[in-house]
Amino acid sequence: MRVVIAEDDPLLREGLALLLRAEDLDVVATAGSPDELLAAVDEHRPDVAIVDVRMPPTHTDEGIAAAVEARRRLPGLAVLVLSAYVEQAFATDLLVGGGAGLGYLLKERVGRVQEFLTALHRVAAGGTAIDPEIVAQLLVRTTPDARLDRLSPRERDVLALMAEGLGNTAVAERLFVTEGAVHKHIRSIFAKLDLTPDDRTDRRVTAVLHYLEDARRRS
Amino acid sequence: MRNVLARARVTLDALEHLVGGLGTAVLSLVALLFVTVTAAACLIGVGLLVVPFMLRAVRAVADRERGRLTRWGPDLDGPVRPPSIRDPATWRELRWLAGHATAGLLLGIFGLVLPLNAVRDGTFPLWWRLLPDGEATSSLGFPTVHTAGGAAGVSLLGLAWVGIAVGLTPGMARLQAWPGRRLLRADTQADLALRVARLTATRAAALDAHATELRRIERSLHDGTQNRIVAVTVLLGAARRALEKDPATADAIMERAQDAAERALAELRAVVRSILPPVLTDRSLPDALTALAADCAVPCRLDAALSGRCAASVEATVYFAVAEALTNIARHSQARQAVVTLRRDGPGLWLRITDDGRGGADEHGGSGLQGIRRRIEAHDGTLTVTSPPGGPTILEASLPCGS
Repeated sequence: MRVVIAEDDPLLREGLALLLRAEDLDVVATAGSPDELLAAVDEHRPDVAIVDVRMPPTHTDEGIAAAVEARRRLPGLAVLVLSAYVEQAFATDLLVGGGAGLGYLLKERVGRVQEFLTALHRVAAGGTAIDPEIVAQLLVRTTPDARLDRLSPRERDVLALMAEGLGNTAVAERLFVTEGAVHKHIRSIFAKLDLTPDDRTDRRVTAVLHYLEDARRRS
Repeated sequence: MRNVLARARVTLDALEHLVGGLGTAVLSLVALLFVTVTAAACLIGVGLLVVPFMLRAVRAVADRERGRLTRWGPDLDGPVRPPSIRDPATWRELRWLAGHATAGLLLGIFGLVLPLNAVRDGTFPLWWRLLPDGEATSSLGFPTVHTAGGAAGVSLLGLAWVGIAVGLTPGMARLQAWPGRRLLRADTQADLALRVARLTATRAAALDAHATELRRIERSLHDGTQNRIVAVTVLLGAARRALEKDPATADAIMERAQDAAERALAELRAVVRSILPPVLTDRSLPDALTALAADCAVPCRLDAALSGRCAASVEATVYFAVAEALTNIARHSQARQAVVTLRRDGPGLWLRITDDGRGGADEHGGSGLQGIRRRIEAHDGTLTVTSPPGGPTILEASLPCGS
């Protein structure tokens, strides 16, 4: 897998590169700014870009704009955005065109190498990875929503993992249940939330996230 | 050379002030005529209708002078109330008008004529032959010049004009401004209204400074410390993986992790220091200033005699004012020495920072002076900055102790 890293902090950038290279990933270029990222994407046409949200010049959300632009230039490029803190608005901006091949994770998740690599591979394969923190924020902050209240506790667990971008198998593994059980839970969730069932995980993620966001906005 | 340039600058400034004063003096003369005519018309009754217009005209001229004087001296705020015949402030304006329209006008004219005469007589040898015979005289009207030697004498007179201008104009400019500074000041009642307005403004500035400060702290925690700690976790993650696969490389990665952790600590210390230096809370203000003076790139002498403590926020303000001023001196002044003096002044503190650098510090040039002023004024203190080209630069601040 060919990877480009865009992170303005040199120490962190080199740390990431070191980690990924040790895992036999091909880090083809590292960038310290949005411009360098775009140049690297043009030149190396990588499979995945790992992008920090805060980059020069204003250190606010340059990474998001750069990620969107990189995907415009190289359709099919998977982008994993890393952020020092979760800002749900960033996730919304990023997922505006659907969640295929997109990820948004807290920076410190990188330290849990195995989980980070799983998320990275999932994103590279066209899936989605949303930080549990964001999903938790959406679920917690949502004030009473009649339809969400209809979910059983187990269904809420499944919903949260689904929103993170996990596929049926992964959800089943996490919850120690069979895939068949997960499948049943998901059908039930979609029915209770009045959503159209969809087997593609990336569309499922965006559907669920949109639903949660709408619920929050309605409140 | 430095002295000559500074002197020339002072003279040119004085001439500019005198000529500017001439402008308001002409307006004053017009207004004075208006006042005289109105007063005469009042004797037969009809003038009373015009009085409010007349007073407003006088106020307009006085406000112009206030604006002019404020541009090159301490703030001169006008009365808040509209002019009225029963208001002492209005009567003071009328007295000023009479003085400025006469003496101020003469001073202004003199200030205008001096440089003209200097140029005319100074260049006299170049063009006196063009004048009809018997009319070639100096600017004084005598003596009549017939020879090149005489013309050279007149050019000496030109030099004399320059000398007079250098010697007299600064005093003349002050004299011309003096009645305005004395009579156009706001009275106590207006002072109170102005004070409220100023408090509102400084409070807004203080909140502003506070928000800026918070943003700065957030930024340094976020982009510095937090990133370092993330790097530590990333490197530790990598090290654990390496232990499983290739333990030989793990140590090198651990060393980098430790390095990152140490940097995080150093940055955290710097952030904490920038919020409130521990030496300020643990020891005393003079101790904190001693540390600042010792760190300054320009040799700095500290003279701080202070018994007892002030409110923490006041001490912090003094500390940051000195820190900022010394940074400025090290960066811009080319000074060889700086002196910081701190004294208790009645119920407050008095602070002076001087350097022997090149002067010309501009408060609006983003030099940090504005930040110092904001912080000090937020405490109801005052700051004066004197920094003529060629130096020396003197910052003087006094602020209430608040305890």
